Amino acid sequence: MLNYIFRRIGYMLVTLAIISVVGYLIVELPPGSYVEFEIQRLRQQGGNLSQDQITALELRYGLNDPIYVRFWKWISGFVRGDFGESFQYRQEVKDLIGQRLMFTISISIFSLLLAWGIAVPLGVYSATHRYTLPDYIITVLQFLGLSIPSFLVALVLMVFAQRTLGQQVGGLFSDQYQTAPWSVAKFIDLLAHLWIPIVVIAFGSTAGLSRIMRANLLDVLGMQYVQTARSKGLTENVVIWKHAVRNAMHPLIMILGGSLPGIISGETVLAIVMNIPTVGPMYFTAQLNQDLYLAASFLMFLSILGVLGNLLADIALAWVDPRIRYE
Amino acid sequence: MNQTISSTSDKAASILEGEDIILKVRDLHTYFYTDIGVARALNGVNFDIPRGKVMGMVGESGCGKSVTALSIMRMVTKPGRIVQGDIALFRKKKGGENDKSQIIEEINLTKLEGMGPVMRSIRGAEMSMIFQEPMTSLNPSYTIGDQIMEAILLHQGVDKVEAEKRAINILDGVGMANPALVVKRYPHELSGGMRQRAMISLALSCTPSILFADEPTTALDVTTEAQILDLMRDLQGRINMTIIFITHNLGVVAQMCDYVTVMYLGRVVEQATVDDTFYNPKHPYTSSLLRSIPHVGSRQKERLMPIRGVVPDPYSAIKGCPFHPRCSQVMRGKCDAQVPGLTVVGKSHTVRCFLYSDTVEEASNVR
Ligand SMILES: Nc1ncnc2c1ncn2[C@@H]1O[C@H](COP(=O)(O)OP(=O)(O)OP(=O)(O)O)[C@@H](O)[C@H]1O
Ligand SMILES: [Mg+2]
Repeated sequence: MLNYIFRRIGYMLVTLAIISVVGYLIVELPPGSYVEFEIQRLRQQGGNLSQDQITALELRYGLNDPIYVRFWKWISGFVRGDFGESFQYRQEVKDLIGQRLMFTISISIFSLLLAWGIAVPLGVYSATHRYTLPDYIITVLQFLGLSIPSFLVALVLMVFAQRTLGQQVGGLFSDQYQTAPWSVAKFIDLLAHLWIPIVVIAFGSTAGLSRIMRANLLDVLGMQYVQTARSKGLTENVVIWKHAVRNAMHPLIMILGGSLPGIISGETVLAIVMNIPTVGPMYFTAQLNQDLYLAASFLMFLSILGVLGNLLADIALAWVDPRIRYE
Repeated sequence: MNQTISSTSDKAASILEGEDIILKVRDLHTYFYTDIGVARALNGVNFDIPRGKVMGMVGESGCGKSVTALSIMRMVTKPGRIVQGDIALFRKKKGGENDKSQIIEEINLTKLEGMGPVMRSIRGAEMSMIFQEPMTSLNPSYTIGDQIMEAILLHQGVDKVEAEKRAINILDGVGMANPALVVKRYPHELSGGMRQRAMISLALSCTPSILFADEPTTALDVTTEAQILDLMRDLQGRINMTIIFITHNLGVVAQMCDYVTVMYLGRVVEQATVDDTFYNPKHPYTSSLLRSIPHVGSRQKERLMPIRGVVPDPYSAIKGCPFHPRCSQVMRGKCDAQVPGLTVVGKSHTVRCFLYSDTVEEASNVR
């Protein structure tokens, strides 16, 4: 098992190395750079940049170095925790993205937990009650869930929260907590703001996940070893949850590994609609403005998240399925 | 818990002379309500199983052998259901520690909830089953030890350490090499023969009084098959277990069984001792079944006789004797009109065929 995990971590590092090279190239690829752009802008404003100043800027950002030197400077700084400075914001990238990353991660994790917490029992229920009225109702709801776009759900929930619950929607904190230090009350206020995006993101995946759960469990329930479990005299609950569900989880776990990037991009749209400071919108503008270090750092962090998600899924898969553990 | 079997039991008091009956099945109907119609898998099955003996159960594919076993174990699940019939289990209850006398208690299994507590306490402890497919009958996610121990922990009230000791003991008893290592293994790490031994250990883990062995050796090579058959016979003698041995292999029947039940399309057509089955078969179906297999000593030129026609599908009901469309001795106007009743044709020998008597099966009240 340990062997298996180490091997996976090895793959993960190789993947990240490749992503860092390709990602950096892509961000750098368009002609021009933020510095040239900036120099031009300052000139147009009538500010007179001396050649010295320009050289200082160029030197500082190493514009005259060959690309591999610049890449090396960036990546070696990155692993040491020095992510560079954003041209646009004139701030350390570190200070810009820290909190956003945290919100993104917590929204993702909470919505995944919510989606799984609903999808798995729902799928199990409808598989074990196939062709009964509740199963038909669940099926109809699932198809509705699959076909309603998430921004629409977001709008409906926002109106509902504001009109009916009298909540302040959008943003992360109510005004009085905006600058307050962290406390239990502030955390609760945060949750009150975050529940809408969490529900909206979970909504989109719950329907699909529970369909998959239902289909897989139906397959597994037809397996001989389920009858073997019954033949021991186990209760039906133990037969279903211990012997059948565990073997029906593989596809769900595999989906889990790949779902983080999807959640983050889905979140971007939602975050723009709801004005929540997650990484999505900032990453988007950073790419637009060729804000090199900011964009590249985002890319790296999102990749790390995605790859970590896959690693966790691989470990979970090995835990449920001994055949993978020893492969 | 002490329900007596319904009126049908009188009608057929055991015909197996001199045997102590452990299971009495009467008029058992099990149907599957599928999308394409109702599959009448069992259509009034009647038979007795003698205690401590091996009963062979034969018949072409689809005649309902597995469903019979599953019905008695009360493990038929949706869309299947037992729609009618009685299954009486005569279980021996030990008296006190010093009391050697044994009380026999009768339980009607069809009156119990299939997944209810009483049935669950019987299943796995007093009755267990070895399934048709050894490759898929163990859960791939748990070790062999865990799967065997699960039954022991459930029924025998011992702790984990003791349960593992017993599991290793049983594996050793079924001739598994290195049992202490095997308990830590997962099914995919074992060969087919080893898995079947593990499955047998699982079924035997609580020393059941009745074991259903559903083609336990079909998937195995001849050597392993012989070993496993020896093993079962040996165990059966040692703990006086009753075995219902389902198989297509009449050679194995001759070697293993005391009695034989022949099934056709969800009914029992003949029940007899193993000798009578082979040397004095009564039902035309039994005879053609025997003629359709090669046997030792048969001359090279002698051709095997496949039974003509195919088994009808269980979705359409056949009027009269279910075998009449394929029977070479069919009597028009009789066999295709009414269902033959049970006729005693010899010592412990019953058959359902109009060649031996005119008894008619009373109309069953199942739709
Ligand atoms: N789950 C099910 N759904 C629908 N029909 C079923 C189901 N299980 C069994 N049957 C039907 O019941 C009949 C008897 O099946 P059963 O498995 O008992 O046959 P069998 O005698 O064991 O055959 P084999 O020798 O091939 O194992 C078959 O015709 C089958 O179509
Ligand atoms: Mg079968």
